[in-house]
Amino acid sequence: MSYAIETHGLTYHAGKHFELRELNLKVREGSIYGFLGPNGAGKTTTIRLLLGLLRAQAGSISLLGQAVPKDVHKALALTGYVPERPHLYSYMTVEQAMRYHAAFFATFDREYADELVDTFGLVSDQKLSHMSKGEMGKLHMLLVLAQRPRLLVLDEPTDGLDPVVRRDVLTALLDFCSQGTATVFISSHLVHELERICDWVGVLDHGRLVADLPMHGFKQGIKRLRIARAPSLIGDTPFVILMREQTTADEIWVVRGWQAPMTQWFDGVGAEIKEIVDLDLEEGFVELLRSSRTM
Amino acid sequence: MYRQVLLAQWNASRQAVLTFFVLGFALPLVAVYFGTSGVAATSGQVGGWLRGAERVGALLPILALFVGVFLGMASWAPDHLGRHVYALSLPLPRWQFVLLRFQAGLTLLAAPVAGVLLGSVTASMAVTLPAGIHAYPIALTVRFALAALLCFAIFFSISIATKRMVLSVLGVLGGVLLTDLLYNLVADSSTSVTVALFQALTTWPGPLAILMGRWALFDV
Repeated sequence: MSYAIETHGLTYHAGKHFELRELNLKVREGSIYGFLGPNGAGKTTTIRLLLGLLRAQAGSISLLGQAVPKDVHKALALTGYVPERPHLYSYMTVEQAMRYHAAFFATFDREYADELVDTFGLVSDQKLSHMSKGEMGKLHMLLVLAQRPRLLVLDEPTDGLDPVVRRDVLTALLDFCSQGTATVFISSHLVHELERICDWVGVLDHGRLVADLPMHGFKQGIKRLRIARAPSLIGDTPFVILMREQTTADEIWVVRGWQAPMTQWFDGVGAEIKEIVDLDLEEGFVELLRSSRTM
Repeated sequence: MYRQVLLAQWNASRQAVLTFFVLGFALPLVAVYFGTSGVAATSGQVGGWLRGAERVGALLPILALFVGVFLGMASWAPDHLGRHVYALSLPLPRWQFVLLRFQAGLTLLAAPVAGVLLGSVTASMAVTLPAGIHAYPIALTVRFALAALLCFAIFFSISIATKRMVLSVLGVLGGVLLTDLLYNLVADSSTSVTVALFQALTTWPGPLAILMGRWALFDV
């Protein structure tokens, strides 16, 4: 199994209040990895560490097989990065920005870039300083897609964009993904957005990776159970209990890693499942964060 | 890459570069304005002319300073605005990107230097020099180029530094100045570290010596 991104024991401190602790991240080549987490969880910091923009205090990073930060420029030649906020030079025009970007990336596909200019409705001679946030977002996405990268790192690429622009950007991203075998690492706190496109998901909270699993496992494995005669003491369970709450008659449990045969476990402890409710991804995400914070 | 970096810097600072070019061209010509043309000028007239030309020439190191400061700072200003995120995500080693920026800045520096050269040569050809007086357009241009290069290099280095680093350096300098001032006030001493430091920097072989002294297009 080869990984586009691999970190071991990645540690980074910023001030007294933020710490990335022993982050072990593995992103398979060809996957679309959703990097979820609430604001301030450390998603942007992790991305900046991965791309060599920040230096880790401990741990190792491998990006497309290159050691970071030592050989990060070799990996960056094959990586497209859309930062949280576009940092392109505002005095340039769209055309100049494309030429500038193309000069640094040997794989830049000018024809595809022109195609995307039309698709996104951008104007070549428009100055970046006169462009809206949505247009800037589209331009940045255009530049990295036209690079034909092996790895796309997108840091909240649709944050703050209106629904129409967001749809354009995600559609372009999906088109690109369908054309090849690029790996996509996309961070967001918009859970529904990732649900559509990702096949693997990692959840970061307070600098810790609290979940790292296939998207289908994340979507299907989180359930809300209503249980009668729930045991007060619980030993080993075949699932992970994220939340447990006493109601008037029954108990409500939120569990992860659920599979249908696990109902037998409740029979064994003398409890009865009265209801099993599928949680959507956002509810599962919230419960996951809640449980990780109480652990 | 170099071409695109140069174009980008040109786009960002062309108005200022063109202004510097015009000023560089105009200053040597202004020096001629004080001139008294003709071989028959009296020694008094020649002396007055040289003093006038020298006063105008004194503006050239100031121009060199402005050119160096502006181009040095402008090399990094767009990256500072974007917190260097875009520049750092480009696929080349950092030293190489710094070198590209430096080379592009140096190329733009050539415009005001060319302005001074053209202005000096034009001014030299525009007057009939009195006996014993010579024009030094090439020497003046070389001196201007070196002074501007020095200022550019200093401010290019300063502006690449982080805010914390710049504040630290300024803090240390401010501390030295303040300590020196207080020491001189309390001890009533005539030896000032600040003055000694300034003299060391601005007299030969100090690095800033090139900005001092006489800057004359016409001399004996």
